Amino acid sequence: MIVQTALLIGVVLFSVLAIALRDVLRSAISLAVASLLLGIVFFKMNAPYAGVFEISVVAGLITVLFILTIALTRAGDEVRESRLVNWVFPLVFVAFVAVDALVMKSLLGKVPALAAGAEAGTFGEVLWKGRTFDLVGQIAVILAGVFAVLALFRKREKHD
Amino acid sequence: MIILFVALPLVVAAVLPLVGKVSRRVLPDLLANATLVFLLVYAAVTGRALIAGGPLLQQVTWLGEAVGIRLALDGFSLFMLVAVSLVGLAASLFAIDYMEHYGGKANYHALYLIMIAGMNGLILVNDLFGVYLFLEVAAIASYALVAFGLGHDELEAAFKYLALSVVGSSFVLAGIAVIFGMTGSLEFGAVAAALRELDAGAVVAIASALFLMGFGLKAALVPFHAWLPDAHPSAPAPISAVLSGLLIKVSGVYAMTRIFLNVFGLTPALSAVLMVLGAVSIVVAAFLALGQKDMKRMLAYSSISQVGYVVLGIGLGTPLGIAGGLFHLFNHALAKGLLFLTSGSVQHATGTRDLDEMGGLAKRMPITAAANLVGALSIAGVPPLNGFWSKLIIIIALVQAGEPVFAVIAVLASVLTLWYYLLMQRKAFFGPLNEKWAAVKEAPFWMTASTVLLALLCLGIGILFASTVATWVQPAADVLADGVQAVTGSWGF
Repeated sequence: MIVQTALLIGVVLFSVLAIALRDVLRSAISLAVASLLLGIVFFKMNAPYAGVFEISVVAGLITVLFILTIALTRAGDEVRESRLVNWVFPLVFVAFVAVDALVMKSLLGKVPALAAGAEAGTFGEVLWKGRTFDLVGQIAVILAGVFAVLALFRKREKHD
Repeated sequence: MIILFVALPLVVAAVLPLVGKVSRRVLPDLLANATLVFLLVYAAVTGRALIAGGPLLQQVTWLGEAVGIRLALDGFSLFMLVAVSLVGLAASLFAIDYMEHYGGKANYHALYLIMIAGMNGLILVNDLFGVYLFLEVAAIASYALVAFGLGHDELEAAFKYLALSVVGSSFVLAGIAVIFGMTGSLEFGAVAAALRELDAGAVVAIASALFLMGFGLKAALVPFHAWLPDAHPSAPAPISAVLSGLLIKVSGVYAMTRIFLNVFGLTPALSAVLMVLGAVSIVVAAFLALGQKDMKRMLAYSSISQVGYVVLGIGLGTPLGIAGGLFHLFNHALAKGLLFLTSGSVQHATGTRDLDEMGGLAKRMPITAAANLVGALSIAGVPPLNGFWSKLIIIIALVQAGEPVFAVIAVLASVLTLWYYLLMQRKAFFGPLNEKWAAVKEAPFWMTASTVLLALLCLGIGILFASTVATWVQPAADVLADGVQAVTGSWGF
């Protein structure tokens, strides 16, 4: 329980750092660390598949993409940011944590342990037999992503 | 074979970029539009026969074995499928000429069809996670389509749209997680049945709040509307038409209504919240529209205001209110699609969206001007156009339900709507012709044809409103009026 609490506090801490840090590279790495910790939480809570995907895709692949993209950019003019954010974010964050704690405290006793529904089974069974339509959606998301990249990085035609 | 509504546009989208290598324009145009014609005919002609004996539930099989694809088609989903196919086809016909100078037409049509597949998937799924997934499919395609022009404005608008839309999706996902944690199920019928057995008022309230913020952002209800006036005007005109006419309604209003009315059951508190959000959206956005000089921005604010009417009618929860809300959803999809397309024709001819720079364009573009006038009067609620009847039904429903204050707000905001649309007419199409536009010509064939089609539909549905309501709107409203019963009673597999 203590390890889990420490991990969750780590997730929140590094997520806040990802938002608050001004250096985008450090921000991306903080996000990766937060995902890594979350992946470990998934493992500890008996969700190994979720853990594998969280660590390999979110902490791994997406971080690589972020760092690659950052490497392709140059430092430009200073971007002016509203100072309001510096005040509003901590306030909203503290308010959110307070509300979240209160809501969860009242919910914890009431919410029953998750019933093992029809979705139970091995990973393959769940994916192929239980949630096949999600795969169709995934294919659509991947197609949309590929065509978006093709469209946004297309060469302008002659008459443009 | 209702899976075709999702599978066909996806398959065609997948092959379009390859087809684009062979023929840059003609084949992609033909293939995309033929797909949408097929979907429209399938929905409009065979759809009613499919659900004649009650909701159609389909378990898809693959090589003789059942796979985990379950689709549900009832009056409400069929009504939405017809709206998506109809406005989707009109915008796609318009794009044949309009997207000519953008380049990358095969990619454009591919993304467009994926967005249509996403909307259709969202309409046909019968589980909460499917709603989230197809919400994202349509959204991801739409981000790229908003940025399709690659200009600074387009890219900035797409980024802003993406950032706020992701926040909306996160709220929706959090709401789904709460419900899954509570009931152990995602399927509409099972969730509705489980919630009835559990004493889960507080949890449902939290999930409702999360869904309200999530779908409120997608539907651009005030105060969640900030992204829409940037995203919709910056997109290419056919995309603006589909975003304002369809996407905010499918991923916002449809999803919210299906979950609140058919899965959770509409409580008096939820009804009050929806009505207040609807009324605030109607009034605030109407005033904001009044001050706009950018034609498409004015239309975007008008969309927020009109979605307010839809939510007000459905939120009222009476059978008449729901029917009025749904009918207005359909009418607004047609009329706002029409207005965005005609604004695209004007921008195509003049290169500007600034109303102050226009003037007298009716002399040069008489068909576009007439079509625009029909759309504007329809949304403003002028008889005998379709928008008049849906607003009238909503107002009668409000009076019948003993909500005179909301009824007065709806009437007064309608006057405001007429005011800003007449301003648009006067500045853009009437008055002396601005000399700059002396050489302007009427829009090309497909652009004009698609706007005329929508204008005729606005007029035709206005004249034949009784049969339209009886044939399409009432079966949809009945499903919603049945509440939780609709999914627990007849939807089980």
